[in-house]
Amino acid sequence: MTDSLPHTTADLVVDVRDVSKQYPNVKALTRVDFTVSPGEVRALLGKNGAGKSTMIRLLSGAETPDSGQVFVGGHLLGTGGIDGARALGVRTVYQELSLIQSMTIAENMFMGHWLRNRTGIDYRAMAAATDLALKRLALDFRPNQLVSELGIADQQMVEIARALMDDLKLLILDEPTSSLSAGEVTRVLDVVAQLSSEGVAVIYVSHRLSEIRRVASSASVMRDGRLIDTRAIGELTTREVVQMMLGEAASEMEPIESAPDGAGEILISVRGLTLEPKLRNVDLDLRAGEVIGIAGILGSGRTELLQSIAGIVAPDSGSITMAGRELAGRGNARALRSGIGMTPENRKEDGIFPLLGIDENIVVSDWRRVSSGGVLRPRRVAAAAQTIVDQMSIKTSSTRAELNTLSGGNQQKAVIGRWLHADSTVLLLDEPTRGVDIEAKAQIYALIRNLAASGRVVVFVSSEVEELPAVCDRVFVLRGGELVDEFVAPNISTDTLLATAMAEH
Amino acid sequence: MTNSPETLTTSEGRTGSRRRFRVEIGSQQINIIGLVVGIVVLFVVLSILAPNFGTPRNIFSILQSAANIGIIAWAATLVIVAGEIDISVGPAVAFWSVMLAEMAGPWGFGLPLAIVLTLVGGIGIGAFAGWLRARFGVPSFVVTLGLWLALRGQAQFITNALPVPIDESPFMDFLGGTLPGGIPVNVVLMFVLFFIYVFIARRTGFGRSVYAVGGNAKAAVLSGIKVARVRVLVFVGTGLLAAVVGIVTAARLSSGNAAAATGLEFDVIAAIVVGGTSLSGGRGSMLGTLLGVIFIAVIGNGLILLGVNPFFQNVVSGVIIVGAVLVNLALARRGSAEAV
Repeated sequence: MTDSLPHTTADLVVDVRDVSKQYPNVKALTRVDFTVSPGEVRALLGKNGAGKSTMIRLLSGAETPDSGQVFVGGHLLGTGGIDGARALGVRTVYQELSLIQSMTIAENMFMGHWLRNRTGIDYRAMAAATDLALKRLALDFRPNQLVSELGIADQQMVEIARALMDDLKLLILDEPTSSLSAGEVTRVLDVVAQLSSEGVAVIYVSHRLSEIRRVASSASVMRDGRLIDTRAIGELTTREVVQMMLGEAASEMEPIESAPDGAGEILISVRGLTLEPKLRNVDLDLRAGEVIGIAGILGSGRTELLQSIAGIVAPDSGSITMAGRELAGRGNARALRSGIGMTPENRKEDGIFPLLGIDENIVVSDWRRVSSGGVLRPRRVAAAAQTIVDQMSIKTSSTRAELNTLSGGNQQKAVIGRWLHADSTVLLLDEPTRGVDIEAKAQIYALIRNLAASGRVVVFVSSEVEELPAVCDRVFVLRGGELVDEFVAPNISTDTLLATAMAEH
Repeated sequence: MTNSPETLTTSEGRTGSRRRFRVEIGSQQINIIGLVVGIVVLFVVLSILAPNFGTPRNIFSILQSAANIGIIAWAATLVIVAGEIDISVGPAVAFWSVMLAEMAGPWGFGLPLAIVLTLVGGIGIGAFAGWLRARFGVPSFVVTLGLWLALRGQAQFITNALPVPIDESPFMDFLGGTLPGGIPVNVVLMFVLFFIYVFIARRTGFGRSVYAVGGNAKAAVLSGIKVARVRVLVFVGTGLLAAVVGIVTAARLSSGNAAAATGLEFDVIAAIVVGGTSLSGGRGSMLGTLLGVIFIAVIGNGLILLGVNPFFQNVVSGVIIVGAVLVNLALARRGSAEAV
């Protein structure tokens, strides 16, 4: 619980004292103490829901603690909000970048506080100041370049440069490298090292231990809203990090007992799949009757693998064959016709039709099954929807209710059910349990097992690693776009999966 | 609205019952009820203030002016539900009335062929607009703004802005005339097309795909809906029905007229949004549009009967339309806030 590094309050950049934070149904933080010194690069690790985000939000002023205090540079961070924290020198660069794509770098640097002269906005002065800020990080962009012309890594650099224009004391980077290629990662790490040498403290949220070892001096691990420990990076092994992240929970869920015989018919065969910079030379066989798990940390290429198989993105090279037919790069419609169904990671944005009924959200994958002569038959729509609602145990009083009247878990079941309606034999489920309550999670696990038992293959992607042993027959670990390991039930254990996924390259 | 959720909750004891309640009287139903009430109130008030208002003759006259707006509004409702917009319908009507007159008369195609070519042409222009939108991502407002200028301009160019007379023919007389009992033929046509469009919207895969695309285009793509085809087809609908109204207009005026249907596009859009269809797509109903069309036609008729200055009539219409949508939104927000 206590910070092991020696310190005095006066020279700390961050001093979080005995902070607790309660959300409506979740205890997000419980009596956390946390300190960071100037020039220190602190890695912050923890599973989803461990409290990292709440911690970031507290430090950046977006939230206030229920009890306890947060000091930045010796000043109490009160109710000043994000502006208050910014005035004390805190800046956060989130995974979703906050730059306006259609404006220039200089305009973004001064967003909302554009310099003025007598004739209006002073572009020349902004460009000059921007040039200085960019030079400080050895970036050679033109200030009048549009942000949309920059790659993601470069945009991140611009955000960091923007942060530097204030008197920066603490920079929080939230999964900064999850969407970057190896070369780009090095540039980000170099900048972090430079800031550190200038005395800026950096909180680096990431699970890529190789990067953490290159750039951080210490690491804090959170679990269930508590700070488990803070240790110097040199004395910390991957195993220890994993143990701290998982705690006792690692062995809670019952793993699948019997190993699959590996004799199921191969439905899809992936060979040499490459999609720079996300996937490299992936070989994978999907056999009927199996639940295949894909483990990997954020940005390891999980989503891209599913999207390639579903034909949404075209790989640079490699083949995806189903029943002897090539699917790679042939488009989403072809994949759907071949019997591949994918439920996207962002259910709200990409998965649901909130205003349509549950019935239509299900039969949308194939109107023809519920039509005759091109005309929808309400009875057949109702019957088809009812079948799926029963099969997926979707809790609703009427299949005609609008989808947004359902809870997240039931919405997810309807989205999966869409592909049962279309008779898909390959189900690609990207984070199907995200934002779903515990009861619904258990139901979704059972459904996934049933779907496999009925001769389908289910590919299950989850960033909650402990789900995988409980659901999957076989788990592949993706790391940096490559399949690095394979585990077969009953020899799948959460901590081994996580250690493999996070391990150094 | 205020106490019913509680009653239901106690009878079933779960939040699920509240959800069902919301489905039974959602914001759309509130909107429909509101419009019906509004129309009834207008009827009562106008009947008292203007003695001629309630006569069958005047009712037919209202419906007749509703017909041009309505016929196009059915197709345009699907365009807007799909998240698109078509502002070119007024000039399209004028253009096709001119083309029909020219083809049937001066160009010597004969009336039957002229009618067929007009309908095919309407489909063609609609498909072209939809293709520009779907294939190249040109915003539909821009595509139809271009058509709005070009079609009216072309109609005026062909005719030198003078009416082109059409020879008398039994078919055109019928189309522009009335049935026994005084019911105008175009009013009958409006209702027939209304039921066809209700059917398309509710009972075909295409119709439901329109709602899906407007509600969440990304999810529609991922669900295997042919989004480009849907987008082309909704514009084919407005293109075709604009040609139909062009023919009807020519029949009623016995001429093709480049100045016909001025401002029709705005009456159509106004009727649709008053009818509760969301301009951001995904939500809307044919019944709402029908009521919106009647609402707008009644106001227009009432203002004339009350002898309001013609210039000031537009001011009143503008205020009433925005007010009606404002009330709609307020009701919808209250409804969903209580039911969720």
